[in-house]
Amino acid sequence: MSHKPIRTLLNANEEWAQSVIKDTPDFFARSATGQKPKILWIGCSDSRVPESVITASKPGDIFVHRNVANQFHLHDDSALSVLTFAIKEIGVEHVVLVGHTNCGGAMACIEAAKDRAANPGLSTPLTRWLSPLTALVQSLDLSACSASEALNKVVEANIIKQVDNICKSEPIITAWADPDAKKVTVHGWMYDLAVGRITKLVVRDAQA
Amino acid sequence: MSHESIETLLNANEEWAQSVIKDTSNFFTQTATGQSPKVLWIGCSDSRVPESVITASRPGDIFVHRNIANQFHLNDDSALSVLIYAVKVVGFDSSSNGYTSLTVVLVGHTHCGGAAACLKAAKDAAADTGASQPDIPLTRWLSPLIARVQSLDLSACSESEALDKVVETNIMMQVDNICKSEPITTAWADPNAKKVTVHGWMYDLSRGRIDELVYREAQA
Repeated sequence: MSHKPIRTLLNANEEWAQSVIKDTPDFFARSATGQKPKILWIGCSDSRVPESVITASKPGDIFVHRNVANQFHLHDDSALSVLTFAIKEIGVEHVVLVGHTNCGGAMACIEAAKDRAANPGLSTPLTRWLSPLTALVQSLDLSACSASEALNKVVEANIIKQVDNICKSEPIITAWADPDAKKVTVHGWMYDLAVGRITKLVVRDAQA
Repeated sequence: MSHESIETLLNANEEWAQSVIKDTSNFFTQTATGQSPKVLWIGCSDSRVPESVITASRPGDIFVHRNIANQFHLNDDSALSVLIYAVKVVGFDSSSNGYTSLTVVLVGHTHCGGAAACLKAAKDAAADTGASQPDIPLTRWLSPLIARVQSLDLSACSESEALDKVVETNIMMQVDNICKSEPITTAWADPNAKKVTVHGWMYDLSRGRIDELVYREAQA
């Protein structure tokens, strides 16, 4: 019973692989020789935001890091390793930080911000992970907002904040300071999952 | 010119969204009401292993965490948060009788650049003992896997055999870590908790095929 989703996935993988080979017989053999994606996607783990499906991309197109609430913490080795590898080994040209509507992580932070003063609660990996975003929520004035307006405001502020963090990271600062380095642009995007559409919020480049 | 790929992506998103609506007009509005994916996928950031494409899955099917070399470190808040969220917060439902369960798949893959980097670091360390690795995020991130590589006997292996062995060992190691983590040990100890199974998979990207290496569940 618990194997049902596994069998479905494995069968689907088999069919997909066969259809790819039928369509492009050397696709996988070429894939095995290396990867040269131009884009690093840093997004949310939310199942409704699979980057390659929503952008109709193929294997090889997008280098990906997904975590709860699309965070980029400056002390997080996981995210920093991905960014370092993407810029220095892979040579990506664009870093897109993608947030989305109806984000459960953002909702959790809104709740935590309300409770925080009253009840510090237990420290778990999840509460620690979300504590910078909870602090960001507390810095916003959401008093005049409905619940859904507040959530959208938090999701948007989160995207801007994570883009800021990325731009302050060593791999980006180094790339932007070096006139011989490959050009890297950082983008902040919002995915509205109620309509399936990405909109651009912010773009950052090396200062000329 | 360097924005070409960005515009391509955004245009493709627009076309995709339109085609989905044409096919299933309420797909997105339904999606917005919540998520209950069947599976948590912990895999590599490698562009050649997009979980939803290679399993022909749709938005809403798979909860995803991808990092360099599909690691699950027991002191990594990023991976632990995803697992906690998957086990305790999101409404996973993989059976028709309403009994909630979660399938965790830890997926490694052939031709892994992170694994190759570890092989190289281990070789460099062996050739030049006394020199320590630079203390930068990527090196710290790969240091558990580098240590494991150093414990393997790869002397009789060709370079590609060695890489395959490292990738496989890595998958087993990360599955072990997941099974030792608090969210899993707690769920397995509690008869009322969500039923959780953990699978270790290898994706052979030269064939496009996933093979199951190992499977773990609560002891009866």
